[in-house]
Amino acid sequence: MVPVPAAGLTVSADRNTITLEMRDVPVVDQPRWPAIDSVATPARVTFKMVWKSTGEPVQYESPTEQFRFIGARAECHLEAAVSVPSIGFAWKSDPIGTSAASFAIIGEEMNGRYYSPR
Amino acid sequence: MKYDLSIKHEDTVSMRSRRTFLKSLPFLSPAFLAQRTAAQQTPQAPITANGGVDPYPIPWLDKNGSHNQPAGPNLEPSHIYHFKGLVARCSTFTGMGTDNHGNRIGFGSPTTDYGLMQGEYWAARTPQHGAFTHI
Repeated sequence: MVPVPAAGLTVSADRNTITLEMRDVPVVDQPRWPAIDSVATPARVTFKMVWKSTGEPVQYESPTEQFRFIGARAECHLEAAVSVPSIGFAWKSDPIGTSAASFAIIGEEMNGRYYSPR
Repeated sequence: MKYDLSIKHEDTVSMRSRRTFLKSLPFLSPAFLAQRTAAQQTPQAPITANGGVDPYPIPWLDKNGSHNQPAGPNLEPSHIYHFKGLVARCSTFTGMGTDNHGNRIGFGSPTTDYGLMQGEYWAARTPQHGAFTHI
């Protein structure tokens, strides 16, 4: 998990569209994850991701795990470019509209100390 | 720290072998201990142990040490515990791309999931604000 700079995040006024865009984020390339002996190689990723709410409501809540999420299903698209300098590898995705996620949600959540059962 | 620097300098200048260097360690140790003792006696401002301002992970999501689980129905969407705010999650991407050798390579699997959290979280015994992504 990495902090998002202010310029990297755009949320529409109605909070139905979120655009997350970051450049040269240091990550690790770990093809065999989650194997314990998976080799991790330093890499960089530049990406743009857009969530758009479909309006279909969803609510997930677990008093045991102390969280409540109220939101909507969404469509999500991603474009990215990855480089792994130490092995001379680079990869760039096709334009953002050509990708899709089979599951996406946008909403408001409270958990832990901010959660109270209803 | 001072001790470490001086050892490196001495080793480089005199071109000692590692064996010679290791032999000298018993004689250096008392000096090292003396420096440590002096350092321990140096007055320092007390530090309040409130923990860092980094977000807490979700406590039960540590199976792989990544504090994460794929996004899905009825699963905790946030990666941050003691959090309230905006969350966006997605998983199971499908897409294509091209590597630097012109090979077409697809991306996406059930573990190709991303998350965004923007809002208030509790850390260092006080509310914090920020935006974080899991990529």
